[in-house]
Amino acid sequence: MAREFQRGHKAKISDLTAGTDLYVGVQIAAPGLTFDISCFGLDANEQLSDDRYFIFFNQPKSPEESIQLLGAQSGDTESFRVTLDRIPAAIQKLSFTATLDGAGQMSQIGPGYIRIVAGGEEVVRYAFTGSEFTTERAVMLGDFYLKDVWRFAAVGQGFDGGLEALLKNFGGEVAEEEPPPAAAPGFAPPAQAAAPPAFGAPPAPQPAPAFGAPSAPRAPQPAPSFGAPAAPTPPPAPQQPMHAAPTIAAPLAPQPPAAPQAPSPYGQPQQPQFGQVPGQGVPPAAPFGQQAPSPYGQQPPGVPQGVPQGVPATGAGLRAALQPYKETATGQRWTPQNQQLMRVDLTMGGAGVLARQGSMVMYQGKVDFGYKGAGFVGRAVGNATGQEMQLMRCTGRGQVFLAEEGSHLHPIELQGDGICVSAENVLAFDESLQYEVRRVEGHGIPGGALFTMLFQGTGTVVVKTHGTPVVLPVTPTTFADCNAVVAWSAASQVIVSSQVRLRRNAYPGHSGETVNLQFRGAPGNFIVVQPYEV
Amino acid sequence: MNQQLAGFAPTPVTARMENHGRTMLKVAMASGQDLYARTGSMVAYEGFIQYEPNPPAARQIASQWITGEGAPVMKCSGDGLLYLADYGADVVVINLDNDSISVNGTNLLAFDAHLTWGVEKVKGLAKFAGQGLWNVVVQGTGWVAITSRGTPIVVDCGRGEDETYVDPDALVAWSPNLKVKGKRSFKAGSLIGRGSGEAYQMAFSGQGIVVVQPSEDSTDRLRIRN
Repeated sequence: MAREFQRGHKAKISDLTAGTDLYVGVQIAAPGLTFDISCFGLDANEQLSDDRYFIFFNQPKSPEESIQLLGAQSGDTESFRVTLDRIPAAIQKLSFTATLDGAGQMSQIGPGYIRIVAGGEEVVRYAFTGSEFTTERAVMLGDFYLKDVWRFAAVGQGFDGGLEALLKNFGGEVAEEEPPPAAAPGFAPPAQAAAPPAFGAPPAPQPAPAFGAPSAPRAPQPAPSFGAPAAPTPPPAPQQPMHAAPTIAAPLAPQPPAAPQAPSPYGQPQQPQFGQVPGQGVPPAAPFGQQAPSPYGQQPPGVPQGVPQGVPATGAGLRAALQPYKETATGQRWTPQNQQLMRVDLTMGGAGVLARQGSMVMYQGKVDFGYKGAGFVGRAVGNATGQEMQLMRCTGRGQVFLAEEGSHLHPIELQGDGICVSAENVLAFDESLQYEVRRVEGHGIPGGALFTMLFQGTGTVVVKTHGTPVVLPVTPTTFADCNAVVAWSAASQVIVSSQVRLRRNAYPGHSGETVNLQFRGAPGNFIVVQPYEV
Repeated sequence: MNQQLAGFAPTPVTARMENHGRTMLKVAMASGQDLYARTGSMVAYEGFIQYEPNPPAARQIASQWITGEGAPVMKCSGDGLLYLADYGADVVVINLDNDSISVNGTNLLAFDAHLTWGVEKVKGLAKFAGQGLWNVVVQGTGWVAITSRGTPIVVDCGRGEDETYVDPDALVAWSPNLKVKGKRSFKAGSLIGRGSGEAYQMAFSGQGIVVVQPSEDSTDRLRIRN
């Protein structure tokens, strides 16, 4: 449900959505006027200390691609993709601005808005109209800013000067305008919104004709670090899959790493969207501390390879090299340190934590680890799977770091609601939660039944998955493999459906019988599935 | 076909050691600048590079490394580009600037040959982790690459008077100036198979850092084959 913001409203992003991979859309229009919509990545002093974080039509993304300009789509004049957990620590604020290109003033604009969309669903919208402005020629629409956690503020503050005044305000410098080169090279296509699965652009109500050419009509200015590829590219169709896009990967001349939009192959941090958990507020995802892989450029053949002994970009020394992996403390009880490591601060909140045995990798302070009688849970699970699920109780004063086999960890904060988690996928949970074991029985399930733990109450459950999971809404036709399903909202009903002999001959030696779980429930329920069948 | 794969071509060399993706290390080799790498970690090379397994110099330094079979390092020399990896573990490149770091033997991938290094056995802990816990102390000014199963985390040890306790299987590296001791945290219950599962830890105290991986898999995959 989208929240409507007024000028001056602020909220934590984590209260708006659990996702950190956000789509920011801006609509602003006035008859006969054109607008430049840009995003300034500012440091703690609200200065544009790094030109590469001025995201505008001539520089459509930041170096590690945490901020990308996507172009017009879905009814938005301009849109951005912002991946909060990949923004470097130096950037403390993102300011989204609109400036008039040419004559005119802001009072002429019609109704417009800035909105945030996560997981295909609009979560917040700040609407404005021209009547709020007078003679301004630039307006700061909204800010993402880091104050302990990322927050969003609806600003709506006008500036009398245009883009130059705005740039000066942020301490930037205006590059001299140059006459456009004769053959304006087409940009490499900005990363299409459709590419990453977890990042849902809002459904486009109409084909956005202007999408593919966010920059074509404009003269490329001397952008600081964006090397325009030499090969002219036709503007891509919006639905063009990324693989089919002509990756400009073989330029003729060596050039700074341009923009080969390599599909992120190394599992870059992609905060999964547990978006539909009712009443849920996941602790903010701390920066995962991963450096984005450097862009894969090309090495022209035949270039002699010297051995530069230069200092890396991050600086010399042990501390500099390890800086990206530093512990992050946010003052919350549960803090993800990176995709695979969870830190729980036992000094916050009274009760202890129950964790899977052996999942502690490190702790600081005075923490006791005790045997937790598995009781019915352990025995029931153990009988079926042949391996008892054993828990340990962590109590005391200090911080415990939990991880297991490099699995991805996801904290799910329950606020009075319930969730069923497959017993194998539980890593840890607050002792304050009530839990019970449920059996899902069915012919053909390995071990005779699937054991799940139902958690209810207020607290956090940490779920582990192999790989990046998918969160599906429960529809009348939602099925999941019982080996791959991780969790589902407690209100949905599970039915075992055997699709008998559907593909009898598909696999020789296989009975052809597949057991699936079917889920039924009211809208708002969801299931979580991992890309790994245990 | 080439278009999609071209994105994975190597970037121009800018430093002696660089990450190619998260899990591969690219080393720019030149004659006179030798490298020690884990035996079996080479996945590709380009140019003229020679490998000398169990070099005499290393044999002497690491004479006791794991049951005396010899150090699992090879000396690489020559000109070209060398690619190293350890079964998909994350690679972290460190440019030592007159620093020193103590790395768990299985987590060390490569280091410059001109660095000072030595093998140590952590006293009193060898019996804790299955095969014995060996670590390599590297110091000087140069490049070191370490591996981690999953994205590692770095914790400042010198925070407050509390010690930092680490599961030995998850430990990757630490500052050599830290005080290390073993800690047995099991209670009577664990003797009859009811332990918390966390029976042994290493306790660190002092000023320095500890690097930990999010996995308790300390299997030395590069050694399995021999």
